[in-house]
Amino acid sequence: MNRIIDLVKRQPIWIFVFICVVFFSFSSPYFFDIRNFSNILVQASTIGLIALGMTFVMINGNIDLSVGATLALAASLAVGLQPQLGITGAVLVGLLSGIVIGALNGIIAWKTGVDAFIVTLGAMIGVRGLVFIYTGEQAFYAHDLAYSDFGASSLFGMPVLALIFICLTIIAHLVLKYTIHGRNVFAVGGNRVAAKEAGIRVGPHMLLNFILIGFLAALSGILLSTQMGASTPNLGRNYELWTITAVVLGGTRLTGGFGSIIGTLGGVLAIAILRNGMNLLQVPSFYVLIILGSILIIVLFIDKRFAEPQGVGA
Amino acid sequence: MLQFFGKHGISVAFVLCVVIFSLSTQKFLSTDNFLTVVMQASIIGTIALGVTFVVIGGNLDLSVGSLLSFATVLVVDLHDKVGPGTAILLMFVFTLLIGSINGYLIGYLRLNSLIVTLGMLSAIQGITLVYSGGKNVDISDQTNTWFAFFGREALFGVPVPAIIFIVLGIILQIVLLKTGFGRKIFAIGGNATASLFSGLRRNRLVFSTYLLSAFTTGCAALILGSRVMGSQNNVGEGYELLVLAGVILGGTSLLGGSGSIARTVIGVLILAMIQNGLLLLGFPYYTQWLVTWVVIIVAVWLDIAAKRGKLFSTY
Amino acid sequence: MKVQINPIRTFQNLGKVSLLAGSIISLGLSGMAQAETFRIGITQNNVGVDSYQTTYEQAFEDAAEEADNVDVVVLDAGGDVARQISQVRNLIQQQVDVIIIWPTDGQAVVPAINGARNAGIPVVVTNSNIAEAGQPLIASFSGPNNIQQGAYAAEMMCNQLGGEGNIVQITGQPGYTTAIERQKGFEDRLPEVCPDVKILDTQPGDWNRAKAQRTMEDFLTRYDNIDGVYAADDNMGVGALNAAKSEDRAGEIIFIGATNFAVGYEAMARGEYHGSVYQSPAEDARNALNIAIAVAQGKEVDKMSYFDTPKITQENMDEFEKPVF
Repeated sequence: MNRIIDLVKRQPIWIFVFICVVFFSFSSPYFFDIRNFSNILVQASTIGLIALGMTFVMINGNIDLSVGATLALAASLAVGLQPQLGITGAVLVGLLSGIVIGALNGIIAWKTGVDAFIVTLGAMIGVRGLVFIYTGEQAFYAHDLAYSDFGASSLFGMPVLALIFICLTIIAHLVLKYTIHGRNVFAVGGNRVAAKEAGIRVGPHMLLNFILIGFLAALSGILLSTQMGASTPNLGRNYELWTITAVVLGGTRLTGGFGSIIGTLGGVLAIAILRNGMNLLQVPSFYVLIILGSILIIVLFIDKRFAEPQGVGA
Repeated sequence: MLQFFGKHGISVAFVLCVVIFSLSTQKFLSTDNFLTVVMQASIIGTIALGVTFVVIGGNLDLSVGSLLSFATVLVVDLHDKVGPGTAILLMFVFTLLIGSINGYLIGYLRLNSLIVTLGMLSAIQGITLVYSGGKNVDISDQTNTWFAFFGREALFGVPVPAIIFIVLGIILQIVLLKTGFGRKIFAIGGNATASLFSGLRRNRLVFSTYLLSAFTTGCAALILGSRVMGSQNNVGEGYELLVLAGVILGGTSLLGGSGSIARTVIGVLILAMIQNGLLLLGFPYYTQWLVTWVVIIVAVWLDIAAKRGKLFSTY
Repeated sequence: MKVQINPIRTFQNLGKVSLLAGSIISLGLSGMAQAETFRIGITQNNVGVDSYQTTYEQAFEDAAEEADNVDVVVLDAGGDVARQISQVRNLIQQQVDVIIIWPTDGQAVVPAINGARNAGIPVVVTNSNIAEAGQPLIASFSGPNNIQQGAYAAEMMCNQLGGEGNIVQITGQPGYTTAIERQKGFEDRLPEVCPDVKILDTQPGDWNRAKAQRTMEDFLTRYDNIDGVYAADDNMGVGALNAAKSEDRAGEIIFIGATNFAVGYEAMARGEYHGSVYQSPAEDARNALNIAIAVAQGKEVDKMSYFDTPKITQENMDEFEKPVF
């Protein structure tokens, strides 16, 4: 019994995921199906990839609001430049654009000392403007069918996009848990001054995490564009909000110093399963918004209730 | 030099904007155009007044965009059903009710404001759609209603939206600077835990900042509803970020404890001027977003640099 | 008829019987009942964003209710392409008989449609067409002829202006096929009928009245002489009209829209609004469902199944009922 309580305390989101799976399995004949599960994984991978990076950034005590715009920029470049550079070249430029935006955010946050929220809020507005100007507000279409074939392809009976997401999740988990960089992520987020005194180079460390999330946002956008064989300038709107939601559902504290990839995965899956299940049950889209919003607040409330007595609370 | 910019940077930027745009296009510097700028800024600006209180109190409010949609749909829909007076009254009742939910969750339950208002952003959007059934709402007789006053008319040549924005701004600036309430808001934001106040009073103060931001959002809905005389359910989408950009540009710290209504007003006006000026110059619409990016970061940077006495941070 | 699954009740029912057996029985029953019934799934663009789309959804559900040989799965993408693609995947996995798609974007949904085709599920596109590249993949397009609508607007504009003038254009959402086609139809036809009418500027209004009103305010600041406005729907057209009225310049401007909304109809009755194209969302929805049923039954259908969308002006508006949206 104690063990269960302990688990609820540490990863309440996985209990929620479990309840969702049971509930939807009984209420829709289409839910409990291996093909549906691989659908859910592909759907989760877009937000999920960004959420991996967001976990690092948020444990650091920072935040990145520019990921949705970065995703759109990378997707637009990766599709739009194909006629000139070919698929490989265009995809590389797309990934590079994410790294550059991430580095820019990181350097500004490091050198100016402006709060990451403000730095990335500015970037969110500016980068989206860049996307609109570059694309001329048009969607781009990948003429080479190989591009969209990749998005639809499978390996060992699993969609490639889902496999990429799973692999990167495992890597992110290992890095956060077992490397020096991972330990520093917690140290810097827990107490920035103490971390600096302990010899951690806080600025470059945070820069690295911003580059990481920029890269992952770009990758996520490019993989999304392979699903569409196209990119649209509005792609990724509000994704920063959903990503933050997923990460917070997974138990990462906004104040920094606390969080895990396992929890984030739970948060990402919770949202994807809820969306998928409510689709299958044909819950009217208006109510989906109310339900998702309420769940976020309720989970925050429960989390605070459990976390507070131990003194780990925000 | 640095100190000067930190203190007056926003005013310098304001003047700089006016000068640059005036020199580059003849159409910019005219009373008519200036009133257009103030009027276009009035909706975002009015909301920003209330949000400034929230941010000085050390919290955030991302739900104001959804709340604006809700309030506008409500007041426009009720206009034909119960008459403009009752419609306005009911709109404020329900808007403040939603504001009080925010205030309760953040003030009394002490939940994180970013996440709560993020959740409310989505929930309020859903509530609006359920209320309207997803349909546009319209005022059928648009010419003979005194509701037109808030968005379409002018007093002494000044558009009413601009008057609402400026008058409300002056009142709230006085409240913030000259009343005990205003000083307490600074105190809870400045140092929430070691604040002079007991927990209960702190809770009540945070609660009241959210009522205030709901109230100014309601005022903005009056302007918007009256100008458009109809509403779509997503009319306020994305406003929360533009509002926040204006507040931040005005130098209000996200950590709470410092900020000013007057500077928020200038911040919002700068954003509106950038949009207006760049359009007059014939730049593509979205260039303003790029400029906004640069302006926000430089403004906040100078502000911080002045406080720490050094341009670059040390870590 | 529409299958309404009540999650709570279903859950309780299943609890009474043995869970597994329950679900097998319910699957079996529905399989039998569907021997003569088709399951049709629809993923819509963004219900609730404007009245046209909401009225469409209601009309679609009503029409499905009346037809006794279809079950429908009604989904909404909320304007997000990525979500629409996952909804298509979900419909493929549920093995519906036909998928109807109201594209959030004309190009980006093409691979998803290809996926449905590969799974042997025919696709009907409704309201707004998809890009050229997707045309061989679909069973049919059901909706208005938007190029024609743009051309109609150009003709009405030309007529009302008496052959010359300066106009501005407010387009729909960038990347959306309806917006592109109406713009193209308008811009191609205008020089043919009226070479002396000049388009001063074109900016998007995103199908949003408040945004269009703002765009028009900017036009009015920038241009001292505007003789006409073409807005890609009445919702935006009325926004432009509002902006012009508040500057006292409405009297000198001709307003032409499309997709006649109730507000546009009323403004036209007041003599402030000059022309539009009459397009019924109910007809749009019924047309799509009927085509989908025909496809499911294996009948031959036209590749382009347009429904009629006539011009409406102050002169002939008595012939039309006021739109309900």
